[in-house]
Amino acid sequence: MTNINGKAYAMTAITPMKAWKSPILRLFFFILGHVKPLQADLVNLSFIHFARWVLIGRSKFPRLSESQPQEQLRYDYLLFFSNFNGTWNQYIDAFSDVLERGLNLVWRWSEKYPGARPVTPFKRYIAMVQFDTDYYYTAYPRATTNDVKAAHRVNAALEDLARQSASMSAEQFGAAYTRFLVAVQGDLGATGVGPVGT
Amino acid sequence: MSNLDVSDIQGFALRGYTFPCARYLLLAISTPEAGRQFVLRVSAHITTGERWDDGKPASTVNIAFTHHGLARLGLPEATLLSFPLEFAQGMKARHEILFDTGRNAPERWDPVWRDAQVQVWLGVHAQSPAALDERCSKLQAIMDETGGAKLLAAQDAAAIVIDGKPTTKEHFGYTDGFGNPDFEGVERKTVPGQGKLAPNGQWVPLATGEFLLGYPDEAGELPLAPVPRLLARNGTFMVYRKLHQNVATFRAYLEEQGKRYGGGKEKLAAKFVGRWRDGTPLELAPGQPDPVLAGDPKRSTDFTYGADRDGARCPLGAHIRRAHPRDAFGFDGKLVNRRRITRRGLPYGTYTPEGQPVRDEDEHGVIFMVLNASIFRQFEFVQQQWIEYGNDARQGSDKDPMLGNHGGQGKSMIQGSTDPQNPPFLCARLPNFVELRGGDYFFIPSMTALRLIAQGAVDPR
Amino acid sequence: MANQSGNVYGLTILSPIIDDPRAEVSHDCAIRDYLASLPRDHRSPFAKLGSTHLARMVVMDDVIFVGAPAREEHLQSKYLVFESNFDGDLDTYLRRMAEDIPTEVDAVWRHCIGYPGVRDAAAFAAYMKKCQLETTFYFADVNDKTVGQTLHALRVQAGVAEFIAAQQGKPAAEIQAAFQQLMEKVRREGKG
Repeated sequence: MTNINGKAYAMTAITPMKAWKSPILRLFFFILGHVKPLQADLVNLSFIHFARWVLIGRSKFPRLSESQPQEQLRYDYLLFFSNFNGTWNQYIDAFSDVLERGLNLVWRWSEKYPGARPVTPFKRYIAMVQFDTDYYYTAYPRATTNDVKAAHRVNAALEDLARQSASMSAEQFGAAYTRFLVAVQGDLGATGVGPVGT
Repeated sequence: MSNLDVSDIQGFALRGYTFPCARYLLLAISTPEAGRQFVLRVSAHITTGERWDDGKPASTVNIAFTHHGLARLGLPEATLLSFPLEFAQGMKARHEILFDTGRNAPERWDPVWRDAQVQVWLGVHAQSPAALDERCSKLQAIMDETGGAKLLAAQDAAAIVIDGKPTTKEHFGYTDGFGNPDFEGVERKTVPGQGKLAPNGQWVPLATGEFLLGYPDEAGELPLAPVPRLLARNGTFMVYRKLHQNVATFRAYLEEQGKRYGGGKEKLAAKFVGRWRDGTPLELAPGQPDPVLAGDPKRSTDFTYGADRDGARCPLGAHIRRAHPRDAFGFDGKLVNRRRITRRGLPYGTYTPEGQPVRDEDEHGVIFMVLNASIFRQFEFVQQQWIEYGNDARQGSDKDPMLGNHGGQGKSMIQGSTDPQNPPFLCARLPNFVELRGGDYFFIPSMTALRLIAQGAVDPR
Repeated sequence: MANQSGNVYGLTILSPIIDDPRAEVSHDCAIRDYLASLPRDHRSPFAKLGSTHLARMVVMDDVIFVGAPAREEHLQSKYLVFESNFDGDLDTYLRRMAEDIPTEVDAVWRHCIGYPGVRDAAAFAAYMKKCQLETTFYFADVNDKTVGQTLHALRVQAGVAEFIAAQQGKPAAEIQAAFQQLMEKVRREGKG
């Protein structure tokens, strides 16, 4: 299943947009990029490693030679790439349940988009516009983005302890070590294999 | 939301009969014609969701079918294809998705689940062993007279009796049976903690369609259901799992680790589950059990995790926190509302009191049943993502300490504080305390649907 | 800079694929076949690059007709889509693609129009930039840690869990001594 590598799923989707709607979407993305609180929900869902949207103007498909035929397109195209953790169904369910408005603001400009709720027609639409991946690489297949963030926190806490404890008595170290345990106790989940991504 | 037509819904889908004994008859259909005769005759005995104005009956009967059973009864091909995929495949075929591998793999299941194909489940609950036997022999008579079904196996279950009284305890000593989801249309009043969280922090009932087919669910649509609508409406899906308990291993682990844990053995036991063994929730009583609280249904499920983000009271990986995260994921609990399940069940096998010798191989455990409108979206999701995996709980690949299929290498972190009575504690080398011995996916039809099936009158469209 | 988020760069490349009806195996199929055989784990060419967090390649053979009243239309060419999330700047990444994994780059991109080869790293970078699309919106959950730092942190995390289990219940002096050893190991590991 080439869309999946370890705990990461690569979703690629392309949707057509009437050209006059593109500037509206660009404006929305501009605002999203500069008004950080709007991104808060995305950050709190915490199952995307990296994601991006790419708006391709209908005349902007790369043309590398005169012999390459010119594209004759009526629509602009919105490309979406997501690298997320969890199953396809879980991911779409979560977005539909929690980020309905945000999703609609991005995709309402795409032709035949049914809305993020109810979820069944939304899933049908995504399945229709999704491309399967021919090659997917991840440098840390056994870790979700939660695992990565937890690992960085543990590492930082360990360095703190190392710095502080340089010249401590055993008793002082004991207390510092307990504080260290409390600091990292939520971040020690094992990395490894995830569930079958059905 | 008008009240449900309880005379059309099987009682088992609406209430957990708190009867002390049960027998689950696992049947195979003989021929389609005789099988339908059998269903017709048995339908007259099925307990519906109607109120018992004349007092509790001596026994109740409910019926459910696997996909194989429906096929054997002659449902049209197009109808069979319209059932959800996971139900059609059955639980054994989906064992990898459910992490039913290793100690839980189908090769190690009871013969009836491993080798045979169960087609019909008859759930008989009774007030006494005598009433149970009487009801079962009546059902056997119908089987014999119609020649429509034969008994593959019978599974007995019963409330554990301690000091002469039936309890709601299970074999590890935990008090069970708390909090089943509230949903709209049912007559009982909402109990805090059992429905879903409204933005103002109040608990309100969940959408009916999370637990019954033919009604809108939490996503604002009708859940995927077989066609025609009359076949599906007022029905639901059931997951049946026979969970063997390794009581000796559990007691030994608790004893050994309890000595090393600053809070002591009972507190360690509480940290595995999220409730003290008497049922008191850790969130409300982190220091010691509170029998009054535990015994009050209006209080015993009324809590959230918002004030305990670090898991110092109820660990992040504790069983009840995994199975029902409440507000732990933020977003007003929205990520949780479509993952709720109704649980039913009873212990089986001989109870060995604490302190007396017991062996893992002794036949004892829990017959665990889950009711939900979508096996895939509800039970399978909870099992796959929240019990056998920990990413949503931010516990990586760590599994539920109690139910997890650890394979001897599991670990679970118990979060704590600098209080020596509540220290951070890492449970390592967790063994499998619970093993799966079989089960399958069933459809619990409404009374109308039962009639349609019995009459062979399902329209294939 | 829309392609950048913190220290991570989001590269989106759309390379038109050569359309040769006389080829025995069409170029898009050739790419697919080659990619199917490429290892996706630590033996991946992207592992050799070392700065790639996550990357994918998709042969996009056409746009999708979503149904009336939308109008049907088609691409004149097929495109190889390359999406990568990596540490550092674009020029360095493209140069390293040409210098460190030339065989694999060549095996894929020689099926694409205008590809100049990898011998001349500058020409290769210029070609890729002609194929680059500007990212409209880029989200990176963690954008301030390199691949190396991330892998190190993950190993440390596992080591810490093991350490905690092993030291549980021991007296403080013993834990302190074991901790010195742990830190030595972590330092050594970080340098390797």
